[in-house]
Amino acid sequence: MNGSAPQPLTDALHKEFQETHKDVTVKYEVQQWNGIQDKLTTALAGNDAPDVIEIGNTQAPKFAAAKVLTDLTEASSGFNKDQWLGSLKDSGSWDGKQFAVPFYAANRLVLYRKDMFEQAGVAAVPTSRQEWLDAISKLRAKFGADPEFQALYLPGQNWYTLLSFIYDEGGDIAKRDGTKFTATLDSAQAKAGLEFYKTLQEASGTKAPKDTDEQTPEQAGIFGQGKVAMMIALPWELATAAKNNPGLTAQTSAFPIPSKNSGATAPVFQGGSNLAVPAYSKDQDLAKDYLKLLSGAKYQSQFAKAGMIPGTSTDVAALEADPVNAAMAKASRNGRAVPATPTWGAIEAGQNPLKDMLTAYLTGAKTIGVATADANSALNKAFAG
Amino acid sequence: MTATVDTVSPAAAPPRAARPHRRPAGRVAPYLMLAPAVVILIALLGWPALQVLGISFRRLDLGELVRGEVAWIGLENYRAVLSDPEFWVIGLRTLVFTAACVVATVLIGLGIAVLMRHLDGFVRVALQLALVLAWATPIIATTTVFQWMFDQRYGILNKTLVALGFDGFAGHSWFGSGASTMTVIGLLILWQAVPFVAFTLYAGLLSASKELYEAASIDGAGPWQSFRTVSWPAVRPLLTMVAFLSVLWDFKVFTQVWAIKQGGPDGDSTTLPVLLYLKGISGSHFGVAAAIAVLMLLILVAVTWRYLRLLTRSPETEL
Repeated sequence: MNGSAPQPLTDALHKEFQETHKDVTVKYEVQQWNGIQDKLTTALAGNDAPDVIEIGNTQAPKFAAAKVLTDLTEASSGFNKDQWLGSLKDSGSWDGKQFAVPFYAANRLVLYRKDMFEQAGVAAVPTSRQEWLDAISKLRAKFGADPEFQALYLPGQNWYTLLSFIYDEGGDIAKRDGTKFTATLDSAQAKAGLEFYKTLQEASGTKAPKDTDEQTPEQAGIFGQGKVAMMIALPWELATAAKNNPGLTAQTSAFPIPSKNSGATAPVFQGGSNLAVPAYSKDQDLAKDYLKLLSGAKYQSQFAKAGMIPGTSTDVAALEADPVNAAMAKASRNGRAVPATPTWGAIEAGQNPLKDMLTAYLTGAKTIGVATADANSALNKAFAG
Repeated sequence: MTATVDTVSPAAAPPRAARPHRRPAGRVAPYLMLAPAVVILIALLGWPALQVLGISFRRLDLGELVRGEVAWIGLENYRAVLSDPEFWVIGLRTLVFTAACVVATVLIGLGIAVLMRHLDGFVRVALQLALVLAWATPIIATTTVFQWMFDQRYGILNKTLVALGFDGFAGHSWFGSGASTMTVIGLLILWQAVPFVAFTLYAGLLSASKELYEAASIDGAGPWQSFRTVSWPAVRPLLTMVAFLSVLWDFKVFTQVWAIKQGGPDGDSTTLPVLLYLKGISGSHFGVAAAIAVLMLLILVAVTWRYLRLLTRSPETEL
């Protein structure tokens, strides 16, 4: 997909694959994420199905459950299985079988302005929720006179961040029973996570809208204007922010989303991709050879170099070189995935109850009890398909 | 046509040979000439419509689609859709929304058309230019501008209202409830739909010449009377047509509804086309989505039944 596997990796991979498989030519097509679900659907249905595909991890269960992917349970022992990233392994499995192999992942962290922290007298990066809130009040005391200043940019619908807080409280969106999922947003833990989101949002002095997510307006652009001290973002959003403000890269570093337990990092939602072999692929054995080669340490290490968490290798040493990536590597050990239900893709591509819940609670349109109960029943309805 | 022939024929019946269209070959020729267009229309419109009808009786999810399975399940999709109370809520919402949009569009369009008829020179051209620009702006661009205008924090609307002394609108969320969101979407649709209606009705008004208005005013007709006796007969057929077209367009509008709030908050601005998208494209339940599409078609036929009958019965009479 566009922006996934770095080109040097795929170039070298295809060269080696074609050298070891004499009569084979790899036909490699990079697709756009936008509208990928429809494109995959039609590609899989065609007579000329691809042999290996990349699927977004939240879409993988849908394809696995529809039985349009090859069962890779047996083959996967050859794909470095003992080093697989837990969150991606979960999203690639369905009903006890493995249908998709981890590819790469990334998780959100807190990007912060070193210079602003220094001027506000925040000596060390926050390692607990309380320290985080303390840092925010110091920043606001120092820069608050500027009406444009925001200590933390946090729009109302950044539900990936909410997931972190809910996981941190020991809760989850749903609990699974075999292949059946039941929403657990009305649990005490989920409510506590939602409450902290509001605490943080109110403390942060953010001017972000409460009824949109981090892409509307694109938060990197706002961070790039230089009046924001922190944002919860993916590592590469820094590059976007620095496009019009080249000095930003040197001034910015990152820390993992702090936990309520001092010293720990909050669990994070891991977004990423899986690799799978379509059921109608004509060259299944070649496809498996290809996956074996790709899942080896040689190619996986290139993901770490490119600033992504490799899916089938625990070696993240290459991420340590960069402070932002190092923060991601630190948080990645505690990575989680959204419920691996075939209906999740529709929730993300359709109407996400978590977003409605956030906006309703943050704007005061609903109490926490009503907001979570409504979202819970909406989610259960969505799980039912 | 027939009336003309009738008045002529008793006087002098022309010899039969002089009527070329009585020959068999001559009768077939027009249909042959029509054939290519008809075949293309059937291929492009009829066949997909039949497919949708067929799919609505099948279970067609991602798995069936990829495997090429054909699983007939009779009326199961219709049962699932119709037994969901949400469908009735959304259906009713869509109908009310459509009715409100159509009435407002036609009334405002008519008002502007009459205004244009009475304006002269530069002012009329300026108005027409503004209408054309509003019409020509891409749908999504206008939608984005509307989103900005109604933005909770930065929107010019809230800022203006506060500046005018309505302090309660500071930070007011226009997308906080379904009704409010639908109203904004309705205004957006109105903005984009009025120009076409206004121009069409204006064209109708042009057929009533200025002399008629002068004559009416000489006879002592006031503005309302001259509208009723001169303008109204000129625009009535066109008014029926644009109302009909507006019903079709506003009933199946998707882009603006989806772009504004994806049918939210809490699904309270979801209309039937959005429901169809959620079931079909997001959820990959193509059979259920096809059933919704067929039901939408049935509703449209029911709503526009009168006009359709007029259309099919006598294409040349005044509507």
